Amino acid sequence: MDALQYWILGFSVATLPLNLLYAFIGCVLGTLIGVLPGLGPAAGTAILIPITFGLDPLGGIIMLAAIYYGAMYGGTITSVLVNVPGEAASVITCLDGYQMAKQGRGGPALGIAAIGSFIGGTFATLALMVVSLPLATFALRFGPPEVFALLVVGLSLVTGLSGRSMLAALIMTFFGLMLSMIGMDPVRGAPRFTFGVPPLYDGVGFIPVVMGLFGVGEILLSMEKPVLEVIKTKFTDLLPKRKEWGVSAGAIGRGTVIGFFLGLIPGIGAIIPTFLAYVVEKKVSKHPEKFGTGIIEGVASPETANNSYANAAMVPLLSLGIPGSPTLAVLMGAFIIHGLTPGPFLFKERPDVVWGLIASLYVGNVMLLILNLPLVGLWAKLLEIRYQFLYPGILLFCILGAYSMNQSVFDVGVMIGFGVLGYIFRKLDWPLAPTILALILGPMMERALRTSLEMSAGDITILFTRPISAVLLAVAAIVLISPAIRLLGKRAGKD
Amino acid sequence: MKRRIIISLIAGLTMAFGVSALAQDYPTKPITLQVPYPAGGSTDVGARIVAAIAEKDLGKPIVVVNKAGAGGQVGWTELARQKPDGYYLGYINLPHLPAAILDPERKATFKGEDIVPIISQALDPTTISVRPDSPWATLKDLIEDAKKRPGQIAAGIVGYLQDDEIGYLQMAEAAGFQMRLVYFDGAAPAITALLGKHVDVLFCTVADNFAQWKAGRMRMLTIMDKERSKFYPDLPTTAELGFPTVISASTRGIAGPKGIPEPIMKKLQDLFKKTMMTKDHMDKLEGAAHPVKIMVGEEFVKYYWDSFKVAQKWVDYVRKK
Repeated sequence: MDALQYWILGFSVATLPLNLLYAFIGCVLGTLIGVLPGLGPAAGTAILIPITFGLDPLGGIIMLAAIYYGAMYGGTITSVLVNVPGEAASVITCLDGYQMAKQGRGGPALGIAAIGSFIGGTFATLALMVVSLPLATFALRFGPPEVFALLVVGLSLVTGLSGRSMLAALIMTFFGLMLSMIGMDPVRGAPRFTFGVPPLYDGVGFIPVVMGLFGVGEILLSMEKPVLEVIKTKFTDLLPKRKEWGVSAGAIGRGTVIGFFLGLIPGIGAIIPTFLAYVVEKKVSKHPEKFGTGIIEGVASPETANNSYANAAMVPLLSLGIPGSPTLAVLMGAFIIHGLTPGPFLFKERPDVVWGLIASLYVGNVMLLILNLPLVGLWAKLLEIRYQFLYPGILLFCILGAYSMNQSVFDVGVMIGFGVLGYIFRKLDWPLAPTILALILGPMMERALRTSLEMSAGDITILFTRPISAVLLAVAAIVLISPAIRLLGKRAGKD
Repeated sequence: MKRRIIISLIAGLTMAFGVSALAQDYPTKPITLQVPYPAGGSTDVGARIVAAIAEKDLGKPIVVVNKAGAGGQVGWTELARQKPDGYYLGYINLPHLPAAILDPERKATFKGEDIVPIISQALDPTTISVRPDSPWATLKDLIEDAKKRPGQIAAGIVGYLQDDEIGYLQMAEAAGFQMRLVYFDGAAPAITALLGKHVDVLFCTVADNFAQWKAGRMRMLTIMDKERSKFYPDLPTTAELGFPTVISASTRGIAGPKGIPEPIMKKLQDLFKKTMMTKDHMDKLEGAAHPVKIMVGEEFVKYYWDSFKVAQKWVDYVRKK
């Protein structure tokens, strides 16, 4: 069979009415999981595996895959509407998405996110059909030293994210890294910086911190202001303005490419592509100073990158049997439970399953778009609720989210503590995103660094002698040094 | 109005859950089955399969929750401090659990006595594998080369002082070689590193590498068992290759906090035994390449305490070095 026949086979399987229904149920459930904070895509998918037991293998996997990318989109909704990211990949969307919502433009923000997600997901799926195996094999060259170097690039780019003060951004980055050290030593399992408090053995949870810094911090800040006018959204306001389409198209294109290539590398996670896409967009923008004030590119590019990533991450799973992220590990578990083993053999043994799934990714993306565009209006209506009613609701939502993660009251306390910190940082105008990113990436970086050093028997030059890692570290150094050089240049110019 | 409905619902649920259950009508509410590793791994897959089958028989849901962290220690700490009413059970992995307790550096807040084994599900032997293009065709090749270049060959280990490392230590001591150990956070990254040529040898279990072997991406050198595995019928065991003392496996099973009343304990043992004997369970586990091994009650308890002896030896061995 040639590629076209596989294609036809895939679509004929994926568009069977029952499989369409499974994809639809998955999209709805996934969107719900994304909307609820504390229930990330990995946990959500794992919880829902048993309901797919009764289905045939392909139907079950189509449904789980739909849950996975539905959740990737659902996380956006709360980021935009209430400044609480539903899952890690939507953190960056808060920056401009929530500002847009405050200006009464929540509709266009959600609309462009849906469209960008659709385009990113579609492109990644098409690319998956064409190039999966050679690219996935190349991506294996990203060993621990390369992953460490890539994470350093991610962090260094983000310190330049807020723009205003490099010092503040660095402080916030290191604050996040320090927080990430709390808990069990990732290799040996000895507790560190826990002060004998058992809940801290598992580290400071990302969900309570992010909901505290963003959600609760925002509520505290808004209490200072007099009661705001209720925002009226007209239906015509739900789509982006004409002049925004042009910038969005560029942002979506770049987000797609970034998400796709990072999706191929195992162990990167969904958050780095979104941050990178945002930073790249800011670098190429004619008005970088407007990022963070509610501009549409700031939503379009990370949202596109995150769905493009989600689909591309299927490449290492399907072609090599390697799950690149926790959610995909769950998905792989589901494959196994259904008696299917991901890997090159699956392409030969069960082409109907592989190509059916790939085609269903495409169908699912169409479904997500159809499902979400009309709902945008409904979601945007939420913003018409008066703030004195909306804010207690958000607070309740945050508390539930923090608690439900581990059924832990301690986490609720952590969230409230970080809410106060979030308020203070906002008053100081210190950026919150670097702390969040560092908290998530810290353990991954420590792991990658220590594994690299184990590989080299303690020789640090392993990071500089491997070509990919050396180039990446050079990029990070340039990113960190360039503002200083520019500053020196400016001063020299004045003299 | 809506909020009032929600509040009354919450209140209703709390009352329903608060009523203490008597042994004869146990269970009256859902049972939590905790997995101390992330979703998607072998332990998790096994737990979800057994829970889905057992809950049909039980008539009450069995909810699988993941409490991952510190190689299982976070989950076991949680399990050990639960009320022993039979509504909170968890997976234990041997010899990972005794290693966590016996290593003073890990400051475990629970003891071996705090957890009571109920039933085992799988006994998953440790294997040694390399890439198909590797210069080592047999275990003998690898040992000879490792002796020539002590500390030079990078070996991937799935977790600190788990069965994989204990298997390595046994092998290294018996054959007299030394490799450069590289620790990973679970099997998936370790396998990725082997395929990506970042390490050259991998110590992991059958369930971990079966899929990659089947796909022709791995060459197996040996399995650390007395008998051949039905998953690798052509693979010689360590015993056959002249290392009868090198026996290592990851054994997974269900346990509860100490003090579960005898009638409830009996009920749980019978329930899970019946579940695990079903064809459905056997087929699903076999599909996932989990070597099933069912040990109930006393038999599993004895195995549990034996694993402490093994773990003690290797914890001491590592600490001395």
